[in-house]
Amino acid sequence: MNSESLYQFSIPTVLLLLFAFYSGTYLLTLRIGKKQEDADAFMVSNHRVGFGIGAASMTATWIWAASFYAAATSGYTYGVSGPIHYGLWGALMILFIYPFGRRFRKLAPNAHTLGELIHARHGASSQLILALSNVLGSVISLMVNFTAAGALVAVLSPLSFQAGVIIAGTGVLFYTLWSGFRASVLTDFAQLVALMAIAVVIIPAVFFAMGGPTELVAGLSNLTAEQANFFSMEAILNQGAPFFVAVLAYAIGNQTISQRLFAVNEAHIKPTFLTATVGYGAIVIGLGMIGLMALTLGIEPMGGDMNNLIPQMVSSYLPPLFIALFFILVIGSLSSTADSDLSALSAIMMADVYGKNIARGKADPKRMLLIGRLTMIVATAVGILFASFSLDILVMLVFVGALWGAIVFPVIASCFWNRVTNQAFTTSVLVAMVLFCLARFELLPLDGASGLFFELLASIGGGVIIGLMVFGFLGRIAGFIAAALALVSMLVFATGFLHEYTVLLASLTAYGASTLVCVVMSLMSRQPDFDFATIGEQVGDYDAPRPEPVTQGNQTASANAAIPR
Amino acid sequence: MIGPAGEFDMTMLYGFYVLIWPALTLGVLVLICRAVLRDWRAARKEQRELV
Repeated sequence: MNSESLYQFSIPTVLLLLFAFYSGTYLLTLRIGKKQEDADAFMVSNHRVGFGIGAASMTATWIWAASFYAAATSGYTYGVSGPIHYGLWGALMILFIYPFGRRFRKLAPNAHTLGELIHARHGASSQLILALSNVLGSVISLMVNFTAAGALVAVLSPLSFQAGVIIAGTGVLFYTLWSGFRASVLTDFAQLVALMAIAVVIIPAVFFAMGGPTELVAGLSNLTAEQANFFSMEAILNQGAPFFVAVLAYAIGNQTISQRLFAVNEAHIKPTFLTATVGYGAIVIGLGMIGLMALTLGIEPMGGDMNNLIPQMVSSYLPPLFIALFFILVIGSLSSTADSDLSALSAIMMADVYGKNIARGKADPKRMLLIGRLTMIVATAVGILFASFSLDILVMLVFVGALWGAIVFPVIASCFWNRVTNQAFTTSVLVAMVLFCLARFELLPLDGASGLFFELLASIGGGVIIGLMVFGFLGRIAGFIAAALALVSMLVFATGFLHEYTVLLASLTAYGASTLVCVVMSLMSRQPDFDFATIGEQVGDYDAPRPEPVTQGNQTASANAAIPR
Repeated sequence: MIGPAGEFDMTMLYGFYVLIWPALTLGVLVLICRAVLRDWRAARKEQRELV
C-alpha cells in the first residue's frame, strides 16, 4: 500500500498553526521576563531549577526533530529491534552522564559551562577545545532543526522550504532572546507537555488505524530474517554499536546538557536525569514503532525519502486533526532543541570566550548580556543561512564526531585524576583527531599492519568506553575491571574484522588514542598534583555576589569539592 | 501473553511491545506535571521565581 501524496494544509492554516505555536510560546515567556535580566540567570537560571522543570527541559532538549525521523527510519530499516537501537542508546546518553555530572557540579557548583570548569582545571587551550566542540555541535543542531522545519512545512503545505526555515528560526529567536536560558527551560516544559500528550495519542491511533497487533503480526512475513530478529547483528553493528560508542561523547560535547546540569537543584540531579532518560526513550522508541508498522504493511517511503515515513503514515491513517497535532509535535520538538542551542551558544560566548578569555575575571554583566543576545541573533542567522542553502555539513559532522570522541576521556579524567595536565589534555585530543581522520577517510590502508594498529587503538577505545560507564556508577575498581575485560574481549573478537566497519573503527580509535596519550603524558609529567578545591574558588557568578549555595550534606560547595569520591 | 499451550501469544506480545511506549510516556508526563505543580507551589510560598 502506498500513499500517492501527503495531506496538504492550506497556506492560511499552516501559518495559523505556526503563529499560534510561536505567539503562545512568546506569551509564556512574558510571565518570567524582567526589565533587567542578570547575566547568571540568563545562562543557568538560579542554579535551583526544580525537578519537574529540569526533567522536562532535559527531555525536550534531547528530543529533536531528527529523533522521530531517525527512529522511524531505524524501525523501517532494521525491523523489530530498530527503534530500540535508536531510542535506547539516545536515552542512555542522558543516563550515563549523570554520575559525571554530579562530580562536575561538586567541583564547580556555580559554573555556567563545562568549559569554565576545564579553564579552572587546565587553562585556556583545553577550555577552548571544549568550547569549540560545543559551538560546532550547537550550530549543526540549529541547522538540522531549522532544516526539519522547512522540510515539514514544504511537505505538508504549499509554503516553500525556505519559508518554513525562516519562520522557525525567527520564531525561536523571538521568544528566547530576552530571557535566554530561563525562557528556554520554561517553554521546554510547555513544549514537552504538548509533545508527550500528542505522542500518547498518535502512536496508538496509527497502530489501531492500521489494523492493530493482528495486522502487525500478519505483516511480519514481509520482514527479512534479520529484520524479524530482535537480536539482529545487522541492527546492532550498523545502528546500535555506533550509537553506543557515542553515548558519552554526545553528552560531554553538548553544552545544552551541561547547562541544565549546572542549573538544576543539586539535590535533584539524579531524579532529573533518570526521568529524562525514561521520557526520551519512551517517546522516541514509541514514534520509531511507526517505522516498524510501515515496514510490516509494505509501505514504501514517498519519493524514497525516509523522512516522509511518519507524515505518510499519519496522513494515510488519521484525520486532518491528527496531522495538525503531528505538525505541532515536530515544531515543538525542534523548537525546544533550537532554543536550548541558542542558550548554549550564548552561554559559551558569554562565559567561555568573554568571561574567561577577554575580560579575564573583570567581566561586566551588562556587556555579557549584550554578547549573549548578539550571539543568539548571529547563530540564528547562520542556522537559517546554512539550512536555507542546504549546505553539505558532512565534513563538519565528521569533524565534530571526532572532537567529541577525543575529548571524553581527557575531560572526565581531568575531573577525577589530579595528575592530568593541560599539555596532556590538548595533545591527546589533537593526536586522537589526526588518527581519527586517518581511519575515517581511509588515508592509510585499513588492512595489514596499519589496520591492526587501528584495531588495537579501537580495542583500547572500547575498553575505555565500558570502563568509564562502569566507573561512573560503580567506582574505580569496577571500572578498571570492566575496562580490562572489554579490552580483552575486543582484542579477541574484534581484531581482524573491525576494520570493515570504518565509522565504528574511527570513533573507537579517537577514544583509544586520546586515552593512551593522555594517560602516558600525565604519568610522565613532573608537575605537582592538582588541588581540586581550587576549581570552586575560581568559577563563580558574574553578577553581584550571592551567598554560596549549600549543597548536599549541608556543606558549602568548596568543602564538598575537597571530599574524595 | 502466554497461550493455553504455554506458547507465546505473538499478537499480545507485539501489541504490548508497541503500546508500552506511549503508556510509559503518559506515566512520565503525569510525573513531570505533578513535580512542576509542586515546584510552582513551593516557589510561590517562598516568593521566588520558578526559573
